[in-house]
Amino acid sequence: MLGTFRSELFKMTTTRAIKVLLGFAVFLPVVIFTLTLIYGFQDGVMGSPAVVNIASTAPLVALLLGVVGVMCATQEYSQGTIRITLVATPNRQRVYVAKLLTTLYLSIVSTAILLALCLSATQIVMTIRDGQFELIGNDARVLVSFFLMTTVVSIFGLSLGLIFKSGPGAISAVLLWPTIAEGMVFGLLSVATQKNVFRWAPIQNGFQLVSEFTMEDNNSWNVSLLLFVAFVAIFAAVGASLFMKRDA
Amino acid sequence: MIVVDRLTKTYGSKKAVDDLSFTVTPGRVTGFLGPNGSGKSTTMRCMLGLDAADTGSVTFDGKRYSELNQPLTHVGSLLDAGDAHKGRSARNHLRWIAMTHGFPESRVDEVLHQVGMSEVARTKVGKFSLGMRQRLGLAVALLGNPQTVILDEPANGLDPEGIRWTREVMRSLADAGRSVLVSSHQLVELSMVADDLIVIGQGKLISAGPISQFMTQHAKTWVRVVSPQFDALAALVIAQGGTVERTSEGGDFHSVTAIQIGEIASVNNIVLHELSPQTGSLEEAFLDATDASVEFRGESTSPTTDGGQ
Repeated sequence: MLGTFRSELFKMTTTRAIKVLLGFAVFLPVVIFTLTLIYGFQDGVMGSPAVVNIASTAPLVALLLGVVGVMCATQEYSQGTIRITLVATPNRQRVYVAKLLTTLYLSIVSTAILLALCLSATQIVMTIRDGQFELIGNDARVLVSFFLMTTVVSIFGLSLGLIFKSGPGAISAVLLWPTIAEGMVFGLLSVATQKNVFRWAPIQNGFQLVSEFTMEDNNSWNVSLLLFVAFVAIFAAVGASLFMKRDA
Repeated sequence: MIVVDRLTKTYGSKKAVDDLSFTVTPGRVTGFLGPNGSGKSTTMRCMLGLDAADTGSVTFDGKRYSELNQPLTHVGSLLDAGDAHKGRSARNHLRWIAMTHGFPESRVDEVLHQVGMSEVARTKVGKFSLGMRQRLGLAVALLGNPQTVILDEPANGLDPEGIRWTREVMRSLADAGRSVLVSSHQLVELSMVADDLIVIGQGKLISAGPISQFMTQHAKTWVRVVSPQFDALAALVIAQGGTVERTSEGGDFHSVTAIQIGEIASVNNIVLHELSPQTGSLEEAFLDATDASVEFRGESTSPTTDGGQ
């Protein structure tokens, strides 16, 4: 199992497209956040405002890591290496688990680096300004939610990749569903049923996990997490099932 | 030893492989032939567990592929030279495969050297010619130093030196007691290296056995004769049931053996300048054997005679 995981991780880290995506996922939010930090905050004690700004980059990071998840599956099919992968490791369950672990590993490590850089930047700026930085209120929960959101969306991407097998199709789905399609579907359902069905939109619930405050119309953090994870779990189950059965 | 037993694979309503059985024995190079769409690649994919067979089984020394521990050390395969990420270097391509089995990096360098790619080890696969990709594919097949090797069109795109090298690799593997199954459309090459032949058409077995047996069954044989008294000899041979086809220097006798012609000539004091048994090529024998099962047939390329202007 360890060999298969190492192999999958090596595959993912030896292609330029993945490196560029991971670079964007980590450094673009850091640059945006640091500029906001430098120009947007006053001196003094800083907690929630900084974390709220870090959290605001979460959807972007999650979607980019979702694309990384997609590529963990689809680049194998587009480049034909899936045949060699399955010849080297005929146990498809093992290959699936290795791909899942690789996606999780890349997602967690990227998010950890991003958060470490953002928090370090905050600390440095506050030190220069003779202020102080400490986590207050729901800050810790928001940061944990950041990890949850990025890892679950990356699994969503991997699952779509295994279902579609085609990069363009799966990437379109992972980007368009959360940003456009889900809003349209649940918006129309809300109009049709005259009820606020939108609050049950699964990926939007995932995005709400990183909110510092819960609005009255929104679900609680626990319900949001449950909806989000359950929705992605369905795709993960379908993706895994197809991967196990389908001819390579 | 590879044993394919009653293998059947269907895609939709099309039977790609139909109740196919054959054996590939160690120490011999076995050619795997069939027209396009005959089911060769599907059979190979089913052998390696990439496609699930509907019925039947394939075993390698008694075990199914999925049951093999460290499969690359048992079976090496080259299915498609294009199965490599274009943005990854040759060495890194082999490294990720080696990692699945815990092979040391020195083994990667060893096979790169073996296939003559040491100097381009760090070059990206996308920059390789088809021939170089074939060599890389062979490196993948040889990585685990396997007991059985399955190669699908290994000489495709190779230059003459590369083709000869591939032939030597296959021969040396077989001579070392390994089972080698090779599919190829380069019949001249195959005839130079194969000991046994498995011929399929429309997913069904047409012939399996030693190449000599296949040639005896399907290749045309005739006797070439050059003689200053050719017409006299021809008349005598025709009287014995033979047929004659004139050539510029003499003629080809069919339905009669060289021994019979020699005896007729001797008894009748006919001088012979040449008396040589001839056998058709593997290509002709293959075309004869598979004629009824060719699925995709091109039109004649003879120029039209109706003016066409």
